[in-house]
Amino acid sequence: MRVIIIGNGVAGVNVARAIADSGVADELIIYSCEKHNYYPRPRLIELLTGDLPPEAIAQYPDDWYQRRKIDVRLGCCVAAIDRDARRITLADGGHDTYDKLVLAIGAHSWVPPIAGAERQGVHTLRTVRDAETIGAQARKAENVVCIGGGLLGLDTSMALVRCGASPVILEALPWLMPRQLDREGAAVLQALIEARGAHVRVGVQVEEIIGDGRVRSVRLKSGEELPADLVVVSAGVRSNLLLAQQAGLSCNRGIIVNERMETDDPDIYAVGDCAEFKGMVWAIIPVALAQARVAAMQICGQGDGLYEGVVPSTTLKVTGIDLTSIGEVNPQEGMFVEKRYQNAAGSVYEKLVIRDRRIVGAILLGDRSDVRAVNQLISRGVDVAPYIDRLFTAGLSLADIVNAQ
Amino acid sequence: MAKWECLVCGYVYDPDEGDPDNGIEPGTAFEDLPDDWVCPECGAGKDMFEQMD
Ligand SMILES: Cc1cc2nc3c(=O)[nH]c(=O)nc-3n(C[C@H](O)[C@H](O)[C@H](O)COP(=O)(O)OP(=O)(O)OC[C@H]3O[C@@H](n4cnc5c(N)ncnc54)[C@H](O)[C@@H]3O)c2cc1C
Ligand SMILES: [Zn+2]
Repeated sequence: MRVIIIGNGVAGVNVARAIADSGVADELIIYSCEKHNYYPRPRLIELLTGDLPPEAIAQYPDDWYQRRKIDVRLGCCVAAIDRDARRITLADGGHDTYDKLVLAIGAHSWVPPIAGAERQGVHTLRTVRDAETIGAQARKAENVVCIGGGLLGLDTSMALVRCGASPVILEALPWLMPRQLDREGAAVLQALIEARGAHVRVGVQVEEIIGDGRVRSVRLKSGEELPADLVVVSAGVRSNLLLAQQAGLSCNRGIIVNERMETDDPDIYAVGDCAEFKGMVWAIIPVALAQARVAAMQICGQGDGLYEGVVPSTTLKVTGIDLTSIGEVNPQEGMFVEKRYQNAAGSVYEKLVIRDRRIVGAILLGDRSDVRAVNQLISRGVDVAPYIDRLFTAGLSLADIVNAQ
Repeated sequence: MAKWECLVCGYVYDPDEGDPDNGIEPGTAFEDLPDDWVCPECGAGKDMFEQMD
């Protein structure tokens, strides 16, 4: 069997590793536009600050692929897929054929349609080159503006602080990390972020990025103008779809897959940031890992692993602020109970969302001693109703509930 | 020896397996990993791991 994987990110590499370990593929080839051996993308933050030297970005030694008999073709983009002939065309004009094809082509940074976003000095962070460019400019910049107060925007802003900048973070929604936090938690987080040297403006909309060739300022809808010689936009990502669309595979926000990670062509799989399952593209690593496992199992014909979706969990890393957000944190509809805890100093905030006797969402900010217990209570679907009045009281820790099962 | 889980991505460090790709022999306890060892999936540092029971 000849298996081709397009994409050398965490999704593609994990599919390749599992297939290589199983020994079922006679030939296993990875094509990648990027010229680097596999690196975990979150490490771009450390590359940006200079804490990680560029040569240390690769996760594995050079012979990692060889030892597994994985043929990796770096800097080699795939331009088209011919499904009838089971053949791919490379950007350099070459061809290759497959029995099974895995699309692990990831996502790209999205830039909202802001006038002037094409000016020099406006960047997004997704690749090694992005990190090096932003880091170099941040060290010289007088005024840095970060558009987007989500997870990546905050991680990036804290990295810019480490480069010596005092970035202004602009978030259009009424609070920071709107997907992962509620209003109360975001207020606690905002205080922690500002104490570290960034400025936060929520509920503001960017109207235009002003300058000549290069950015000079950012104008808000209110008319206010913020000086800027570097603008970093963190407004989320969009799946890379072109290759799949041109091959006639069904796509929505991502390439649509079933619980076996198959696209509508049973010989073509999609995993990671490019894949959409049940209407969702999470674009986070735990999802990529789970999907890679299933796709590899299906291709190897070993076990009938199905992807059932995972409860999304995100953790802020570089800020030195402990924040984990899991599942549904801002319930709107139906019956639910919210339990909150905040310490007197205002540095710790925790919330649990309970539906139908089970925890479906959690915010753990400023203290991570409960993270594992909450993950277990959620993934095991533990009935917490008997404890509901004693949650967050002295004498009952969440780990106690786990241990009582 | 205990397994440890990465809070960022869910990767589990199993001391019985070690992390041979990154030069860590099977049988190495999590506590004995070098300080600059990082999660092979997401690059998070050792401080982002929690012990599993
Ligand atoms: C700075 C930063 C911090 C992050 N922090 C976190 C975090 O803390 N937690 C978390 O869960 N997630 C985090 N993420 C998101 C995480 O990195 C992604 O979810 C993950 O990289 C997805 O992996 P992937 O393999 O699906 O796609 P990608 O990593 O995007 O890899 C896709 C690869 O496919 C290649 N490719 C695309 N098209 C082609 C083609 N036509 N031919 C050949 N090759 C092609 C691309 O060059 C790329 O190398 C972060 C991302 C960034 C940028
Ligand atoms: Zn990890």
